[in-house]
Amino acid sequence: MGALGQLGMKWVLRWGLVTALLCALPFVLQPYELDIYRKLLFWVALAVSYNFLFGIAGQMALSHFAFAGIGGYTVVILLTQADLGLGLAIIAALLLAGILAFIVSFAATRLEGFYLALATLAFAQLLIVVLDEGGTLTGGTGGLTSYSLPAVFGTKIEGPWYALVMVGVLLGTLAILLRIDRSWFGRACRAIRDNTEAAAAMGVDVARTKIIAFTLTSVMAAAAGMVYAFFDNTVNPPVFGLENAFLLLFMVIVGGSGSHAGAIIGAVLLKLSQDILEPVVGHFHAIGFGVLVVAAILFQPKGLIGTWDNLRARMKRAKGGKGVK
Amino acid sequence: MSDLLELLVSASASGCIYGLVALAYLLVLRPTGIVNFAVGEWAMIGAFAAYLLSAGLGLPSILVIPGAALLMAILGWATEWSVVRPLVVRGAGHLAPILVLLGMLVIYHQIMLWRFGADQFPLEGPFGFRRVELGPIAGTPQSFFIIVTTLAVFGAVWLFFERTVWGKSFEAVAINRRAAALMGINLRMVTALAFAGGAAIAGIAGLLDAPRGSLEVNMALPLAIQGFSALVIGGVNRVEGALLGGIILAFAEDLTRRYVPIPSGLSLGVTPLLLIIFLMVRPNGLLRAREAG
Amino acid sequence: MTTARKSLIEVSGLTKHFGGLTAVDGLDFVLNEGEVLGLIGPNGAGKSTTFNLLTGGYPASAGSVRLDGEEMLGLPPHRIAARGIMRTFQHNMPFEGMSVADNVLVGAHTTMRSGLGQVLLGAAPAREEERKARTRADELIDFVGLGGFRDAEVTTLSFGQGRLLETARALAGEPRIMLFDEPAAGLTPSECDRLGEIIRGIARRGISILLIEHDMRFLLPLADRVVVLNFGRKIADGAPDEIRSDPAVVDAYLGEAGGVGAAAGSRATEQPDA
Repeated sequence: MGALGQLGMKWVLRWGLVTALLCALPFVLQPYELDIYRKLLFWVALAVSYNFLFGIAGQMALSHFAFAGIGGYTVVILLTQADLGLGLAIIAALLLAGILAFIVSFAATRLEGFYLALATLAFAQLLIVVLDEGGTLTGGTGGLTSYSLPAVFGTKIEGPWYALVMVGVLLGTLAILLRIDRSWFGRACRAIRDNTEAAAAMGVDVARTKIIAFTLTSVMAAAAGMVYAFFDNTVNPPVFGLENAFLLLFMVIVGGSGSHAGAIIGAVLLKLSQDILEPVVGHFHAIGFGVLVVAAILFQPKGLIGTWDNLRARMKRAKGGKGVK
Repeated sequence: MSDLLELLVSASASGCIYGLVALAYLLVLRPTGIVNFAVGEWAMIGAFAAYLLSAGLGLPSILVIPGAALLMAILGWATEWSVVRPLVVRGAGHLAPILVLLGMLVIYHQIMLWRFGADQFPLEGPFGFRRVELGPIAGTPQSFFIIVTTLAVFGAVWLFFERTVWGKSFEAVAINRRAAALMGINLRMVTALAFAGGAAIAGIAGLLDAPRGSLEVNMALPLAIQGFSALVIGGVNRVEGALLGGIILAFAEDLTRRYVPIPSGLSLGVTPLLLIIFLMVRPNGLLRAREAG
Repeated sequence: MTTARKSLIEVSGLTKHFGGLTAVDGLDFVLNEGEVLGLIGPNGAGKSTTFNLLTGGYPASAGSVRLDGEEMLGLPPHRIAARGIMRTFQHNMPFEGMSVADNVLVGAHTTMRSGLGQVLLGAAPAREEERKARTRADELIDFVGLGGFRDAEVTTLSFGQGRLLETARALAGEPRIMLFDEPAAGLTPSECDRLGEIIRGIARRGISILLIEHDMRFLLPLADRVVVLNFGRKIADGAPDEIRSDPAVVDAYLGEAGGVGAAAGSRATEQPDA
């Protein structure tokens, strides 16, 4: 029976339901709604892996979107310019992302707080410069556009079916992170976040743990980026730039840094707000994000999930008070 | 040769701007440990303040700069009072103020975008656009004005730290917050002053820079990044480090763009590259903190 | 009555200079298996420096520290922990974003052998190890008397409770040797008594203990043997009764205002920084 057996019926039912819902949705949505939906899944996937890096492992990196870009660009370049098959291209892209992440992660072992943020921001900027100046390789400032997802085992995956791929990557990311979070590794990450000196004294290899956390989550970002590349069959530099990097950070903070559910809530709230408000008020909608972040930090540092937990605790106390002692 | 000299003047002027922004970071970072990434927005807002004062109100140049600096000081103080102080009082740690200031960055940016759009505005320097020659050295009057003003600002700040009681208390707070408070230093005053001063200096940097190119809302983020890079390069421990870092960064950028045979777009990578190198190899910058005498 | 014990840690010639100041000067002592060793001395004697050298806080200027005959100096803190030496912090360093139970579980880090891959696949050994660790953590939480606080946020604990958490967390690593950093500092008299009981309990489990402490009234009843430092050097080494009446020791503490009696009286009133 192994791992599956100890999960229990309630767990299987709950996650089965969620998966079924996520998979069914693409088939009932209008095309433009579908576009919003799968981009939303993309952001949620990034937010969940970023939450692990920033909220749980305590590494304030601004390179997450850069790695999504590395994943997306690499797979497209390998497909169209190196003529690799899809499977090989994916594997090679993941490997490249992993190697780059491994290198960048050394910065994470040496730098703390905002210095790490700036170093990773610089890395992201360098990537944008390389993409902008990459000529025919990267398509320059316009990016790459004339490509499409090759047929897999003879079938073309399109439309709602392709959204399922994003669902799969999201659930896979979540499953992996939930698993390792509830283990010695997750605790080690949190310990480093909360008190690095004490963590080392308890036997945690701080450098190694940081490297693993950074590399793993960055490769997850790359995977999401790969799926993104075939949404509209276009990849261009601004998507993977600084503005979205900050937005990702804001999502995690507003939702509740350190909480998987918080990351999901934050991503859904901010991304949907953007999708609803931007057509109406244009770019000015972004002020809402700034306001939300300031409000969160000043009034509810635990984010929306913290508010939810407080509510639940209060309801529990109210119920307990009414019962017989 | 004269070509090179002219480039050096222009690079020096850029370096001064970066140095001023770095100084704005430093002024807040030293006593509070807070990295205020919103200084870029402050620089931009200062430039717009100067524009409104000169083009809108028609004030003469001699009033514009102090006027803009004063307005920025008020903005800086207001920012500290409204979003930073509650966090410090609460003991919210290092990260919270940095993040709240990132939120403020977005708020400032969006308000300015809403008011001024993404357009470019003309902001004239006090001396116009002629070409000035001082012996073999030539450049725009604005470049010389920037250099002179920057040296004046740095000089004033240096004097403040070295010779005044308030300045010494900044240093005391930087070294040991709790001890400084126990000695009777008013932490709140120091923090408020730090933010006000930082905003004023950032504003000056912005209004000095804008006439050289164009005044636009999107000048903020690049300045923030370049200013921080200058700070890291020059050293976070000394005022002179900010200026040194700015000069090095500007020279590296401009000389690369002019003389290194790569596409000009790639020279945009010089700043981030230098930042990464210094953060990894010499995170405390080039200038060491002076040993306690 | 001391029987011949095997020496576990051998410190020889331990020296540390900070610029012109010599904090520890040619220190020799041993920690024997199964004993409770106290390291005491007046303020500035070099206790904390010695402690930091033993726990990998900074490099030594000279000397050696051997565990089971193997050199330990120069090892980073996490390697020292892996060798079975766990420590507490004088100023309590809990992981504030985690519950009491999770804090203790971090202490068990060195006992967790399963690799990340096994964790990921939910392999049986990994799950078994996790289950065992949680059980042990619960035992330890009860052992130190924090039974009702298992799921509490550590920020809600009092200083004394935080000290108990420190102890439970370090014990979770199944150490052979426990290092206590001024455990009595900041505790009320009743909290001190409880901690003393706990330390006796730990000693009964066969764990060797090294305590640095300023408060003699707390330490002397607990220790099997005491090493006294002054000005970075060892000035006495023996049973508590011998130490109490050793003229060199009395002299050293007389240099402090009030002498030995005053040192014994300092509990929740000061934070010494020797």
